Amino acid sequence: MRRRPGIGGLQTAAAARDQYRLLGENVAKLRTDLMKEQLATFRAQLEDFARKHKNDIRKNPAFRSQFHEMCAKVGVDPLASNKGFWAELLGIGDFYYEIGVQIVDICLATRPHNGGLINLQELCNLLRQRRKSDREAVSEDDCLRAISKLKVLGSGFEVISVGKKKLVRSVPTELNKDHNEILELAQAQGFVTVDEVEKQLVWTSGRAIDALDTLLEDGLAMIDDGHRDGKRRYWFPCVVHLSQYEFSLTYVET
Amino acid sequence: MQKLGDYKLPQFFNYPPYFTLQPVRDTREKQVQLWKEMIVDYCRTQKIFVIGLEDDFPLFSNPVIQRFLSHEAREVFLSALVSDGRAEWLDKGHRKCLILWHRIQDWAEIVLQFVKDNGLEDSVMTVEEIRSGIESRGTELHGVDRTVLMRALKLLENKGKLAIFKGTSADDEGVKFSV
Repeated sequence: MRRRPGIGGLQTAAAARDQYRLLGENVAKLRTDLMKEQLATFRAQLEDFARKHKNDIRKNPAFRSQFHEMCAKVGVDPLASNKGFWAELLGIGDFYYEIGVQIVDICLATRPHNGGLINLQELCNLLRQRRKSDREAVSEDDCLRAISKLKVLGSGFEVISVGKKKLVRSVPTELNKDHNEILELAQAQGFVTVDEVEKQLVWTSGRAIDALDTLLEDGLAMIDDGHRDGKRRYWFPCVVHLSQYEFSLTYVET
Repeated sequence: MQKLGDYKLPQFFNYPPYFTLQPVRDTREKQVQLWKEMIVDYCRTQKIFVIGLEDDFPLFSNPVIQRFLSHEAREVFLSALVSDGRAEWLDKGHRKCLILWHRIQDWAEIVLQFVKDNGLEDSVMTVEEIRSGIESRGTELHGVDRTVLMRALKLLENKGKLAIFKGTSADDEGVKFSV
């Protein structure tokens, strides 16, 4: 287009800008429409996929986990409601509901031992033991999903991270930062002493004893006065698996 | 799974804090429960009737984790069994404890069954024969603690199922069944 001087030229330039803008909007609309169409196609394909692989999804935890990820990417939540296409198609709502109930059960049963805080791995193991006769295997991912559904019901279940481990809390007891740090410290040997807490976390004796006593009162810690060095140890059942004590030399102190 | 002889030890036995009396009530309750169950279970499978608190009773210590129960802890756990009616102190000083992994009534039932199984309804037998005679072999009565057996027999005597009488020598007590 030749640039023309004067008012005529300005008008042409303005008209050109308008046309470009319109074109731009059209292109954007086209893109959005295309995307919507693609998404709809994708969802249809996902439903198709779910139908075909229903058994695999139910039986294989790794497959199931990846399926969940795919759904999440497309904005589909198979667990959103217990009714509706997904739940009916896969019966997956029931599966997680069942696990949820079993998890609540296990947490209640182990509460006297661990004070309402249990290692996710241990919870999963106990769950698997309970479902031994079931053909459908259960993964930690499944446990987490079931627990997140429990949270929605307001049952006071929560997954917290302590260091590298995940713990499942089934009591209203809130762990403050001090408690969390002690639990993390305890992961090394399954226990801590007052001295260790003071030294490693650089706390005063009062602060250490306070935190440990609270953890003791809450049932999260147990005392051990039996070591020959005479120092009291505070053990945390939630930090280690009980199954690790099967004649494991790791826990024999030298 | 750690074993003591042929007895499978429960997992808590290898967790050091369980050898220290826990101060927090709920935790203590759980601890006592676990120890009570294990003690009764162990005594039943090993046919142990009496535990001496100062003895080297295998359950009182775990060398693998280098822990042992204090005298106080031993008394607490055994007293709990006594409260449950699953044990009795044999002395005021609480030094010896009789473990009733079968209650006396249960032992009485076992004696009655023994009588029926061997056709002894109107017979006479010495107390010693009941616990170590040929008929007793393979039954729970074989090797039963004499004190326990006498208590069961006295219970049955009160019910009129038998009569206890002294024999020719001091330890030759006999029983006439009338089941």
